[in-house]
Amino acid sequence: MRRHRITERLASAARVTALVAIVASASLADAQRRTVPGGHAPRRILPRGDARRHAVPRGEAQPRTVPRGEGPDAAPVRPIDGVPYVAVNDLARLLDATKFWRPDARKLVLRGGHHSITFTVDNPFVVVDDATLWLPDPVRTQHGELQIPAALVDSLPSDSTLARLFYDARRSRVIVLPASGGVGSPALTSQGAVTRLTFPADRPDQVVVMARSREHFRIRFEGHFTGVLPESLPADGLLRSLRPIPALDGSAFECEIAREAAGFRLVQSVERRRLVLELLREATPDAEPFAPEGPTGPRPIRVVVLDPGHGGSDPGVIAGKAVEKDLTLELAKLLRTEIEHRLHARVVLTRGDDRDLSAEQRAEMANRARADLVLSLHFDGFVASRARGATAYCPPATFAAAGTQEGGEGARGPGQPLLMLPWREVSVRHAVGSRALAEAVLSALELRGQGPTRLRERLPCPLLGVNAAGILLECATLTAPADRERVQQPAGLRDLAATIAEGIQAWQRNE
Amino acid sequence: MRRPLVLIAVAVLVIGSLAWFVRHWVRRTHVSPPLVAADSSAVGVRAARLYFASPSGDSLVVESREMIEAASLHDRVARLLAELDRGPRGAGTAALPAGTAALHVFLDDRGLLTLDVSRAFQRGFRGGSNAEYLAVASLVRTLAANLPEVKRVLIVCGGQPLPTLGGHLPLDQPLDVNEWP
Repeated sequence: MRRHRITERLASAARVTALVAIVASASLADAQRRTVPGGHAPRRILPRGDARRHAVPRGEAQPRTVPRGEGPDAAPVRPIDGVPYVAVNDLARLLDATKFWRPDARKLVLRGGHHSITFTVDNPFVVVDDATLWLPDPVRTQHGELQIPAALVDSLPSDSTLARLFYDARRSRVIVLPASGGVGSPALTSQGAVTRLTFPADRPDQVVVMARSREHFRIRFEGHFTGVLPESLPADGLLRSLRPIPALDGSAFECEIAREAAGFRLVQSVERRRLVLELLREATPDAEPFAPEGPTGPRPIRVVVLDPGHGGSDPGVIAGKAVEKDLTLELAKLLRTEIEHRLHARVVLTRGDDRDLSAEQRAEMANRARADLVLSLHFDGFVASRARGATAYCPPATFAAAGTQEGGEGARGPGQPLLMLPWREVSVRHAVGSRALAEAVLSALELRGQGPTRLRERLPCPLLGVNAAGILLECATLTAPADRERVQQPAGLRDLAATIAEGIQAWQRNE
Repeated sequence: MRRPLVLIAVAVLVIGSLAWFVRHWVRRTHVSPPLVAADSSAVGVRAARLYFASPSGDSLVVESREMIEAASLHDRVARLLAELDRGPRGAGTAALPAGTAALHVFLDDRGLLTLDVSRAFQRGFRGGSNAEYLAVASLVRTLAANLPEVKRVLIVCGGQPLPTLGGHLPLDQPLDVNEWP
């Protein structure tokens, strides 16, 4: 009996293994057995509309691509005899569908959500649920993999159980659209005292203003951006720059807005499927104010708290003879001298020797000292020795942060609701100033050749409960031989301290 | 006289051969079923998106990998973590501490996934904030990419709350998958 069960399990495992091999190789066998038909005369798709509008026009100039994080989930579209095709494995991945191969009928079935799509090799008919679609070109095999005409993408079912795809002919790719659809190319107009930025969007009602500061005004769409940004901005307008920023779902944009702008208005037109961001030179009753960013000119710095990372039983990163807790302490002492000399500010170290300190104790020391600025000093480490350079972490400039200004009190008007914030996240009140500090310090490091640098907007542990502008700075990467060698030399560490002090000075000048 | 004997012998031989063949055929069908069913609809394969650290440690790189479809949520998460632990096949570096595995998984009706990972997640961690960021981002993004129903992830370790992995990033509260781009 037991032997029989084992035999059954082995047979089952073998079936599964064989199936995987078959799915991978069946298309190859088909490709070897059959010749790819050459004819691809356009045909009508039944019962839906003509999909030939998406054929890739030859010789058309490619638009400027938009650099943005990783972008949406996408698959490449490659032409076969001039007809755009997408690989079936990519299509299954985008649809989050499971593949079933029927070798006897030479059919591949994709099942995703409540739907099934059946392809037959060298056949233009595709069965989608109960409907039969007649594609303009047949399903083909190439390099051992089924290739599906990209025209199919627009004929797939559109409901919540199956991913919604979009064939982006200009970029030769198929992307997954969220349920909220897409966001098209924005148009920018400037008329008198108003500058309008108009985005075509499937769901303009879902747009959120993430940050309201003029320097980092951010809006987020639930839909994916499928358009292109304008090549240039009008000189007389109130928009200084517009760039996409990474967003896991949907798309987000960051604008830099001129200081002359007094307010903004967000006009969400669901019927016309567009969102208009109006930037106004003069304040009106219905205009929303920007988040105050503090007065221009020098920032007052009376107390600087330097927090050497780790300590005591926590050595931090160890690479060769370099120990993070020792380097951070040494750097903090050097930096104290630099800051006292350059800024004439009082400098407080959270630890002056090698001992354990909790994050709460560090935050309490900073708050008791009434710090204007907190710098948590660290050195990085990573498994791959190619990783090098410096990274700064600052509190995220979220909507909550944008409601207040650096240095303390918020800019809420009398009609605006009270904003409750957990104390652990109190440092997001200073997000704008913290980001400016991070950019100033990283810029100084780059100028001195101590990069590459990275900036991450994420609230780190050492800033939890800290009521001041601050950053966590990974000054160098100890696992990178060049970085390690540099900071292990006294001159290298002194140079690093001077560079960070330069960055703080630049932030203090606030030019 | 000899002719009936020959006929009987031939008949016995034919019947015996037939009986042996039938018995052998029946046993074979019982003991070793065909490796591949004519219709393989019972088992499917699905592409999973796995996030690893880039070689320079700046960001994440995504790798698509075919996996046998799992029925339960626990099995799906466990297989995803096993693949992350196995490391990338292309360019990239495993971001999760070696030996990290899923112990328990619970998904509530608001999309909060509580993921209990093995102690290796904490004990095997080496590095600074970058390694910490990439380890958490690799985990959160892989779960979000393959389990659309997951909106937030709470990581616990060995059944205990995990305040932080390496002292740089807080993990004591659920992580919104939208905040790990």
